[in-house]
Amino acid sequence: MMRILRDVLLFFERDLRIASSYRGPIVLELIEALFGAAMFYYVARFVDSPQLREALPQGTSYFAYSLVGFAFFDYLNAAVDCFERSLEEARDTGTLEPLLVTQVSLPVVLIGSSIYPFAQTTLRVGVYLGWGSVLFGFPLRSANWLAVVVVLIATLLSFSGLGIFSAAYLLLFKRGNPAKWFFLGVSSVVGGMLFPVSILPSWLQVVAHLNPVTYALDAMRAALLEGASLAAIARPLVVLFVFTLTLLPSSMLVFSWALQRTKITGTLSHR
Amino acid sequence: MPGLCTFQRSHSLFSNEIHAINSGVSDSAITVDSLEKSFPRAYSGWRALLQPFAAPSSTALRGVSLQVSPGEAVALLGTNGAGKTTLLRILATLLIPTRGTAIVAGFDCARDPKAVRRNLGYHAGSDLGFYARLTGAENLRFFGRLNYLSDSFLRTRIPSLAERFELGGALDRQVRTLSSGTIQRLSLVRALLHQPKVLLLDEPTRSLDALAAADFRRFLKAEVLQRQGTSLLFASHTLPEIETLADRVAILKEGNLITVDTPAALKSKAGTDSLEEAFSRLTGHSARSLEEFAC
Repeated sequence: MMRILRDVLLFFERDLRIASSYRGPIVLELIEALFGAAMFYYVARFVDSPQLREALPQGTSYFAYSLVGFAFFDYLNAAVDCFERSLEEARDTGTLEPLLVTQVSLPVVLIGSSIYPFAQTTLRVGVYLGWGSVLFGFPLRSANWLAVVVVLIATLLSFSGLGIFSAAYLLLFKRGNPAKWFFLGVSSVVGGMLFPVSILPSWLQVVAHLNPVTYALDAMRAALLEGASLAAIARPLVVLFVFTLTLLPSSMLVFSWALQRTKITGTLSHR
Repeated sequence: MPGLCTFQRSHSLFSNEIHAINSGVSDSAITVDSLEKSFPRAYSGWRALLQPFAAPSSTALRGVSLQVSPGEAVALLGTNGAGKTTLLRILATLLIPTRGTAIVAGFDCARDPKAVRRNLGYHAGSDLGFYARLTGAENLRFFGRLNYLSDSFLRTRIPSLAERFELGGALDRQVRTLSSGTIQRLSLVRALLHQPKVLLLDEPTRSLDALAAADFRRFLKAEVLQRQGTSLLFASHTLPEIETLADRVAILKEGNLITVDTPAALKSKAGTDSLEEAFSRLTGHSARSLEEFAC
């Protein structure tokens, strides 16, 4: 276990060194986050109405509601996309095969390569919320940070399974997984990213309640905006836990099988 | 065909060899027994979705059997498509054989790939495979650590190999600024970092200039083969390189191992004093096709 942790940190260090060789984008991201937060603030001011306030959880502004939804989807996107992207980069730069003849297994390579994108997303989201708090009154003080971290870890673990499925798809078929975009697209509508699920038609609400994103986002908003305790968000956490237990082991199995197949068909480094 | 002898062992591994494999100890550094590798045909368009499930149809290796002793250097010689790279990639655990067994340092490549990789240095002959935005030293440290080499060991090992390969300046420069010959030398250093028992090199001097190539051969012969006792299996199209380095030469043609012997014995067998001519006579390839593949 310590060895895996050490290997994972090696990949994080590698990505940190590579990222630090590009200085400009970090500054630009900070500025972009400022404009992103400003955009949500002014959209919220523009659409504010008694009807909207009634549809949102009590005491929540639309600005805070939409900013949390946007930040959460940034994480979701990272979880679903980073494994496939790191595999694609390794293949395209020719580092995949040199990595595969080291002592480290490909699943560890993938997990290690996912740490930096998660850290980067955390930083970006932090900057978004920071700008939102300093300039536009985002209510950071009411958050239950322990619950926020627990929801975040549960979300990343559960949706990483989908990301690993996507990486397996890339290994096998040499192209991005279209189901990933379908899932993200559907979830952005029925998951409640920018508006409450309650305003959807009833049949879409059924779809929303079958989608774990809805539960994860509800839990995140409750922890961040209302300071909900872990006990208060136990139900969505259980849903995410079940989702993790189902998806993570099955995705690892499928990925191992896909890796074996590519070693049989000789297409490991094919594009 | 006169002078052409087919080298195919139909018998399986001897029982003591099997015992050696199971225990991870073997007299041979590399044992390849009745190795076959077939690939499915390449599909395009919507049929590409069937690619992972396609049955193998084109054969790259046909029942190849070969042994490399500890400290021995064996060259793989053959035209393009003869199966040299496929054999090296199976031994490097990047491919799974269709039939037969491949053993490196006493470990089965298909069943115990991690143990194989612990004992293996592999250079694919490409000038890719490094992180362009990291320096040469950062790349070598990263790959060294993935082979569980300690920082203190790497602190002395990297500069000493870099000095031997005249890479001093390249260590502190980003890989994207290096020439392909320098990247290739970096790749050779990476393959040697963990002092592997077995070294697999695919066209090791392809991008090196004549002086660097000669220097590399001298280093390989004196330091790696003779002093460290590392076993070497390498593919090359450079006949003088093969004559300099190889104790034996394995000639492959269309996935078959035609013969394996010392360069002197091959020349004697073919009745010539040139390895080029011997290759031509033993494989039936014309001198013209030999020139083409050597280019």
